[in-house]
Amino acid sequence: MNRFAIVVCCLLFLTLNVADAQDASTTIDQTIADIFEQWSEESEQVPDYQTFYEELQFLAENPINLNQTSREELSKMLFLSDIQVENILAYLYQYGPMENIYELQLVEGLDMTDIRRMLPFVVVRKGKTTPDKIYRYDVLNYGKNELYLMFNRDVETRQGYRMIVSTVEDSISRGKNYLGSPWYHSAKYRFHFKDRILAGLTCEKDAGESFFGSAHKGYDSYSGYLQMNRFGIFKTIVLGDFRANFGQGLVMKSDFSMGKSSYVLNVVSRNEGLKKFSSTDEYNYFRGGGATIQLTENWETSFFYSNKMIDADTAGGFFSSIYKTGYHRTENELIKKHTIRQQVAGGNISWRLLWLQTGFTFVHTIFDRALFPEKTTYNRFYFSGKNQNTAGWNYRIHWQKMNFFGEAAVTNNFHPAFLNGFTLSPISLVNLVAVYRYYSPDYDTFYASALSETSRINNESGLYVGAEINPVKKWKISAYADSYRFQWPKYSIDAPSVGKDYLFQTDFAASRRLSMYWRFRHSNKPANILQDSSIMPVIEIVKKNSLRYQLSYSYENFSFKTVAEGNMVQKGGKAGYTYGLTAYQDLTYAFAFLPLKIDFRYQFFDAVAYENRLYAYEKDVLYAFSIPMYYGAGSRYYLNLKYELNRQFSLWFKIAQTVYADDREEIGSGKEKIFGNKITDVKFLLRCNF
Amino acid sequence: MKKMLCLLLIASTASQVFSQISSVLPVSSSIAGTSVANTGVRSEFQNPAMLGYAEFSEIGIQHENRFALSELSTNSFQTLLSTNAVNADFSFSYFGYSLYHEMMAGLGFGRNFSDKFALGVRFNYYMAYFSASNSYRGALLPQIGLSYRFSSIFSLGFSTFNPFQTNIKTDFTQKRISSIFSLGTEYYFSPELVWLTQIDREISSNYRLATGFEYQILQQISLKLGAYDAGYLVPCVGCEMSWNHFVLNINCELHPLLGVNSFAGLRYVFSR
Repeated sequence: MNRFAIVVCCLLFLTLNVADAQDASTTIDQTIADIFEQWSEESEQVPDYQTFYEELQFLAENPINLNQTSREELSKMLFLSDIQVENILAYLYQYGPMENIYELQLVEGLDMTDIRRMLPFVVVRKGKTTPDKIYRYDVLNYGKNELYLMFNRDVETRQGYRMIVSTVEDSISRGKNYLGSPWYHSAKYRFHFKDRILAGLTCEKDAGESFFGSAHKGYDSYSGYLQMNRFGIFKTIVLGDFRANFGQGLVMKSDFSMGKSSYVLNVVSRNEGLKKFSSTDEYNYFRGGGATIQLTENWETSFFYSNKMIDADTAGGFFSSIYKTGYHRTENELIKKHTIRQQVAGGNISWRLLWLQTGFTFVHTIFDRALFPEKTTYNRFYFSGKNQNTAGWNYRIHWQKMNFFGEAAVTNNFHPAFLNGFTLSPISLVNLVAVYRYYSPDYDTFYASALSETSRINNESGLYVGAEINPVKKWKISAYADSYRFQWPKYSIDAPSVGKDYLFQTDFAASRRLSMYWRFRHSNKPANILQDSSIMPVIEIVKKNSLRYQLSYSYENFSFKTVAEGNMVQKGGKAGYTYGLTAYQDLTYAFAFLPLKIDFRYQFFDAVAYENRLYAYEKDVLYAFSIPMYYGAGSRYYLNLKYELNRQFSLWFKIAQTVYADDREEIGSGKEKIFGNKITDVKFLLRCNF
Repeated sequence: MKKMLCLLLIASTASQVFSQISSVLPVSSSIAGTSVANTGVRSEFQNPAMLGYAEFSEIGIQHENRFALSELSTNSFQTLLSTNAVNADFSFSYFGYSLYHEMMAGLGFGRNFSDKFALGVRFNYYMAYFSASNSYRGALLPQIGLSYRFSSIFSLGFSTFNPFQTNIKTDFTQKRISSIFSLGTEYYFSPELVWLTQIDREISSNYRLATGFEYQILQQISLKLGAYDAGYLVPCVGCEMSWNHFVLNINCELHPLLGVNSFAGLRYVFSR
């Protein structure tokens, strides 16, 4: 008994001293999760959470000194709009360095919610904060190392694992089942010395992929990087896996891009240049090297070269599409692995003044085999061939209370894409944005990502108008309207068509502890209506109205969130409405004297038609994100635990279960099918700092 | 035999049109079943977070009758112990007749956190008798509750019963037990007049929308008026009378198809 008491006391002693540190990290995690949730929940494309989290977490560890900052640096806080960034810079220019962080309240266009979100990522210091010289001793002794091990699997057995196979031949003969175990596993190593030297290695095995077997010797995917910042004339040097982002994203934006979301002003991509790739995404990155050189105070140039193998079906000596999922679980998927060599070389040159920034970007892409998409009506203008050149010119002008920005790009078939817009803050309480885009049907390049209704940047024109208004204290109104046109048929839309998308949101931040919002969204989207009797394509408008209410409340170590969301969809003018509804209750508790935090959710959903499907962001283990889709009737609940054993080791554990109540006897289809009405997911993550 | 068939017919009809899930959970003394956010009322098997608001220990019994059929009655009782750290209750209910009956016993805990919010959990053990196999089958059905008190006049309540959708299986049949998500509000227009709203979603049934007003006309007497909709509109009336340590609640509701449901509950509050 005494021994037990000693062990308990030691454990408590070990854990008590990390309780304070946990408070800070919990706040940062919570802030990042809140920002991501608001950004992603109305976004059409699911952003890359790993990159998103890592960048903001890094920013929290290396906060921006507001007195020595730049537009580029402030733009890393993705929740700030361009107008807010300009207002901070204008304040610093006009009044000089800030005395303390509370001065942020004097900056136009920043409300308390924005400032609270900024706080973990900024500091106010006087004098230089970053030494210019790096010493090997400092790097070795003060660099931070982190190791992450993550495991994840479904408790129920999917159809693809029901017959155990040991060889590739077995797999073919037994119905091409998954070759590996149902465990997902990833290992990540990260090193950074301040924000000057960053390095990392990522290994991943997806569920169903074999680890050691005839198909794999170890992990399925490996990724590594080295990034060095501010070394002489080199602003950035990247080696290994990296991403490149220039201009507004019409030519080169391999990172996640801002799209339509409840951050209505943040629709414009930011010029982030070259940066490391540390995600587990197995397609959207470059492999090679690059550098950004600061030529003069105003001139800067970047260049890069990438040479990597990508996945595609090469039967016939060419390939029709790139296989981007990164899954290599079956023989059929393995046949496509690393079959095409893709080389990408490019560069950018930029000229910056206080009020003007302009740049030119050029990218050349080569495949070792020709890409020939199977031609149908909608993809008639898709790129085909072995080589492609893309070039673009971008600008950003700050004048009075207006920001003008834009980019014009063209591929080697001389078909253009344009994006132009402005932001305006006529009075401090009102911020406006307008963006016009035109992407020719023939404009089709591989790494473009910009404001668009679909993920492919081509065959679209549209006008986006957004506004954010703070009519009275504690209240904020956000709204956007987007009208777009597809000049040529799109996938699942067999004729030229138009669509509309509107969002209206009212936020009320009653106090630091209590906030709520109401969000209404209406969209008119064109879609094919399947009619066997018609010869010509029939396009109907799918009207969707959705309404969401969210209430957030916190008290001491507790925080709560109550959400109710409903939608109604009408397919075509004559059809009736179908309905979807979900509601959930979140409860979070951070123990005061133990480094333990728990999240619990109970949710029900009822969306009988697929068009009424609902999404809800949920908390997860570190570096993982989850926005499950709900379709059918049932309930879902999860328990998420974070335990910081000591300053070196932290554990995350999550168990989630969805139970369908609509009498279904199986979930999913094909090899992903599960028999029964329940699906349970378990995740475990271990982090080690040293 | 004829009586048995009639009972089965009524019970099966009731299970389809009477989707207020009362076959498992006894109805509350709050008007129209709007108890999830009602901070002033304690009732058997209702939102366990409300236990946290109890200032005194209580003991209570209640009887609920459906459509004037004695076989469709639920009897229940509750003992509530109020302490400084946490409030606890033990509840028990019995529904049915000799050939079919079900019982539920629950041990609940609730705590009020500085009058800002209350949390509660109840562990219920449900047991049903199946005449076909002449045996009892049981299951553990948890209940979780939460109440935020934003101000002295407005609060919001949430509770879930059987969140894991546990069912009972026998050799011959499977009994589906309700899994309920409830959300409601309480708003005091004045200390005498309170407005309650609630939405219930039983995972396999219709939504139930309920609202009601409770007005204290005298120190001892309150009148209650409300209605709920679950595919049909059911008006409800009731009153509450308090005398010394005793509180008597009587509620009635008129089902448009099946007739009158009645409820009576008597509670004794210690040390008032």
